[in-house]
Amino acid sequence: MPNRRLTRRDFLKFSAAAGGSALLAACGGGAATCDPITSADTIALDTLTECATAEGQLTTIALPHDWANYGEIIETFKTRYSLTINELDPNAGSAEELEAIRANRDNPGPQAPDVIDIGIGRTVTAMEDGLVAAYKVATWDSIPMKDPDGYWWAEYYGALVFECNMDIVETLPVDWEDLLRPEYRGMVAMAGDVLQSNEAVQTVLGAGLSRTSGAFEGAAQAGLEFWAEMNAAGNFVPVIADVGKIAQGETPLTVEWDYLALANRDTLAGNPEIGIVVPQTGVITGPYAGGISAFAPHPYAARLWWEFVMSDEGQLLYLKGYAHPIRFNDMAARGVIPEELAAALPPAEAYANAIFLTVPQLQEANTYITENWRRVVFGE
Amino acid sequence: MTVDRLSVQGSVVDAAPSGKKGGAPRARPPRSRLIDWLAVGPFFLFALLFIFLPSLQIFIRSFQDREGHFTFDNIVTAATGVDFVNAYQASLSISLITAVGGAAFGFLLAYAVIMGGLPRALRTFMMTFSGVASNFAGVPLAFAFIATMGTAGLITRLFEAITGLNPQRDLGFSIYTIWGLSIVYMYFQFPLMVLVMAPALDGLRREWREACENLGGRTYHFWRYVALPILLPSLLGTTILLFGNAFGAYATAYAFSGSFINLVPIVIGAQIKGDVLYNPGLGNALALGMIVIMALCMTGYGLLQRRSARWLR
Amino acid sequence: MRGDLPQIAGTADISRVARRLRRPSSRRASPWAWFWLALGMLYFFVPLVATLEFSMRAVRGRYTFVAFQHILSDPDFYRNFGFSLMWAVITMVISLLLVVPTAYWVHLRLRRLRPVVEFITLMPFVIPAVVLVFGYIRLYGSRPLVLTGSPVLLVAGYIVLSLPYMYRSVDAGLRAIDVRTLTEAAQSLGAGWPTILRQVIFPNLRVALLSGTFLTLAIVVGEFTFASLLVWPAFAPYMEDLGNKKAYEAAALALISFGLTWASIGIIQWLGRGAPGQTQVTGAH
Repeated sequence: MPNRRLTRRDFLKFSAAAGGSALLAACGGGAATCDPITSADTIALDTLTECATAEGQLTTIALPHDWANYGEIIETFKTRYSLTINELDPNAGSAEELEAIRANRDNPGPQAPDVIDIGIGRTVTAMEDGLVAAYKVATWDSIPMKDPDGYWWAEYYGALVFECNMDIVETLPVDWEDLLRPEYRGMVAMAGDVLQSNEAVQTVLGAGLSRTSGAFEGAAQAGLEFWAEMNAAGNFVPVIADVGKIAQGETPLTVEWDYLALANRDTLAGNPEIGIVVPQTGVITGPYAGGISAFAPHPYAARLWWEFVMSDEGQLLYLKGYAHPIRFNDMAARGVIPEELAAALPPAEAYANAIFLTVPQLQEANTYITENWRRVVFGE
Repeated sequence: MTVDRLSVQGSVVDAAPSGKKGGAPRARPPRSRLIDWLAVGPFFLFALLFIFLPSLQIFIRSFQDREGHFTFDNIVTAATGVDFVNAYQASLSISLITAVGGAAFGFLLAYAVIMGGLPRALRTFMMTFSGVASNFAGVPLAFAFIATMGTAGLITRLFEAITGLNPQRDLGFSIYTIWGLSIVYMYFQFPLMVLVMAPALDGLRREWREACENLGGRTYHFWRYVALPILLPSLLGTTILLFGNAFGAYATAYAFSGSFINLVPIVIGAQIKGDVLYNPGLGNALALGMIVIMALCMTGYGLLQRRSARWLR
Repeated sequence: MRGDLPQIAGTADISRVARRLRRPSSRRASPWAWFWLALGMLYFFVPLVATLEFSMRAVRGRYTFVAFQHILSDPDFYRNFGFSLMWAVITMVISLLLVVPTAYWVHLRLRRLRPVVEFITLMPFVIPAVVLVFGYIRLYGSRPLVLTGSPVLLVAGYIVLSLPYMYRSVDAGLRAIDVRTLTEAAQSLGAGWPTILRQVIFPNLRVALLSGTFLTLAIVVGEFTFASLLVWPAFAPYMEDLGNKKAYEAAALALISFGLTWASIGIIQWLGRGAPGQTQVTGAH
C-alpha cells in the first residue's frame, strides 16, 4: 500500500471513521477492530494496547542500550505491554535502517523494522522514498520539531561537549579554539567517522559555527579549516573514539554528544575521572527523528511505542539518560521535570546559546563537509 | 557397476597427472557426465542461489541512480573520481603488502613448526592458535593494537619509560597509516597462511629431502629444485587468498582508523551504511569495481599458475 | 578408520617402511625454526597482553580480574556463545559436504572448471556482507518463499563467508596427496564414488579438513552482520553491544572469546587426530 500524502478531503473522511471507531471502542463495547491503519490521526491508547498485544511483538533497529537510556526505555515498554522486542543491529546508521525497511518490504517476519530512529538530515530521503508512515501521537502539538503531516518528529537532542580523561588532560579546554593548543597534541578525537556519522559531521560544523560566531553561512568551510589545522598541528587523532579508547588513553579528549559523555562518565565511575565541558561558542545540537515503517508488520505496536516514547514518562526516561527530550520546554513549563534529573545535566546557562539548525541547513552542511573533508583536511 | 568402473577408469588412465601431456582423444561416455553433475551440482546450485543471485543487485544497482533510473554516472564516478582512484590504489597496496608479507612470514612459521624439527606439541599449538587468530579481527583486534602501539599503549609506555619521549605526542609519530594498518592486518594474514600451507608442507616427503642429500644437494638445492616447485601452486593460491582477505577487509580497517585511511571497503561502507552519505548506486558501482579487480587478479594468478606448473616434473 | 590401502608402486613399500622408522623427534631442531617461532609468538601475544593489561585496570589503582568475573557471570554470554558454537558445527558439516566433493572432482576430472570454482570461492571477499544479507532478505524473505523465519539464510551466509577458506584448505590438501593414484587404487578394488570419498579422500585430507573447520568455526563465532540483521541470538552481536557499553568488560570479553574459540578448536583438533599409528597414505607424487 503506497503511502501517499493525504488530501484534506481524505483526512476528514478518515478521521471521521477513525473517530467513530475510537468512540465505539471508548464505549467499551467489546474488542476494538484492528483494521489496517490508513490515517495519521491519533489512535486511542486502549485500542493501541489491545491491537498491539494481539500483534505480540515490535521490531526496533539502531537503538543501542546505552544511548540516551534506550536500554531502560525498551525494558519498560517491554514489561508494561508484555510485547516481545526484536532488536536489530544496534549500531546501524540511518542508511541501513532505511535499507532494512526497503529490503523487508514483503517480509512479515521479525527482520522487518517497525520503528526507526534516524538523523534529522535523513528524514527527507525516508519521505521521498515512501518508507515511513504518518502518525500523530497524542502529544503532537507540544513537539517543536516535526514534519507537519506527521511523517517524522524529533525525539530528543543533545549538544556537543568535550569529554576529557582527567588522568591525561590536565587543564580542561573552554572553547573550540583551545583544542588547537600544543598541550593537547595527539589527544583530540571525534566520536565517529565523518563519512558515516552524523555526530562527526556536527563536530566539524560545531567548530565552524564557533569560528563564524554562530552564523551558518561559511560555517562548514570554517569547520573544515579548523580540523585541517588540528591535523597539521598533530592534535587530531584520526580514530573513532569510544569509551574504551577514552579510558585507555588513546583519545583522552573526545568531542561527543553530552548524553553519551555523561553516560560514559557513569560507566567509568571515576576510573578514570571524566571532565565534561560545554563549549562557550558553537554549541551545536543534534536532534534525532523517529518514524514508523510504511511496511511495518506490527503497525499498532509501532504506534504504541511512539505514544510511550513521546509521552511525559518516555521523555523523562530520555532525560534520565542525559538527553534533552524534545518536549523539554513544554514539560518544564508544566513543572513535570523532577529536580534531580534536571540537576544531573550541565547547567542550563551552558545551553543558552544552543544552535538548532533546520533540515535544509543540515543537509547542505552534510554535503559540503563530506565532499570536501579529505581534500581540505588531508590535502588529497 | 562394471560399466561405471570401465568408463571412469578409461578417462582416468587416459589423462596425465599434470594434464600437460595430451592423451589420445577419447569420447566421454554419457554416464560419467551424470556423476560429474551430481558431484559439483550442489556446489554450483548453492553458489547460484546464495552468491550470484543476491549479488546480481550489485550489478543492477550500479547502473541506477537514486530514483531508480538507468545511468552510467555511478560507474564513471567510481572509475575516475579522485577519491576513488586513490582508494583503489591504497587498497591494492595494502592488500599486496599484507599478502606478500603475510605469505612470506606465514610460510616461515609453517615451516618452523612442521619441518623445523620442533616438538610435536608446538605444531598442534600453532595450528589451533592460527585457527583463532585468523579470525581475530574488527574492533577487538584494532583495540588490541591501539593498546599496544597507540599513544598510551604498552610498547609506547615502555619506550617512554626508557627514552622519556612519547612517540606520538613528542615525535609526531602516527600509527594510522597504511603501514600501521598493515601491521594490524598481519595478525590474521600470518595464521591464514600457516593454516592453509600446513597440509602442503606436510605432504613434502622426508624421503625427498634425503634423496636430494644423497645426490649431493644442500638445503638450497632441496628448496630450489624440489620443495618450492612442488609447493608453488599452493603458495600462489594462498597468496591470492591473503590478497582477497585483505582487499575485502572492512571491520578491522574501520575500527582502526575509520575513513581516515582511504580504502575501497571503507568508501563503499560510507555510501551504503551510516548517517551521512547515501548513494547505494555508487556504493554498488564501487563493489562492482572490486569484483572486476578481483577477476583481474585471478587472471594474473591463473597465468602465474600455468607458468609455475612448468616447474613441476 | 579402515586399514591401509595397498600401495601401487614398489618404492612406496620402501617408503612406508622408511616412514615408520623415522619419527619426527629424531630430527634435530633447527635454530632458525625456534627463531621464527619466537618472533611469531612475540607478535601475536604482545597485543593480547596489552588488552589483558587494560582489562585488568577495571578497578582504580590495582590490577584485578573483576571485568572477567562480570562477563563469566552473565547468562547471556553462555547462551549466545552456545548458540554460535552450535551453528558453527552445523555450518562446518554442511560446508565440508559441499566443498570436498567439488574440490575433489575439479581436481581430478573437471580441470577446466577450476578457474570458475576459484573465482566463485573468492567472491565472498568482495561482496560486502551487508549487501549479501539484504540480498537474501529481498530474494528469500518475501512471499512466496519466506525463508527468513528459518535458520537457512543464516547458515547459507555463514557457508558463503567461510567458503574461500574452506575451499583453499581442501585444495591445498588435495594438491599434497596423489589423488589420481589413490582413486585408481580404490577403483581397482571395486570402490564406488561414495566409498572413495568416505574411505579414501576424507581420511587423507584430515589435516587440510581440520584447517578448514578451524577457520569456519572462528568465522561463525565472530560473524556479526548476518546474525544481527536476521535476528538471531549469536555471540558477535552480544560482543558489539557490550563493547558499546563497557570499556574494561569489552576488553575482557575479547580475550575470553579468544580463549573459548581456541578451546573449541582444540577440541576439534583432538577429536580429529585419528588413531595412533595411523600413517598418512600417499602414493609417490
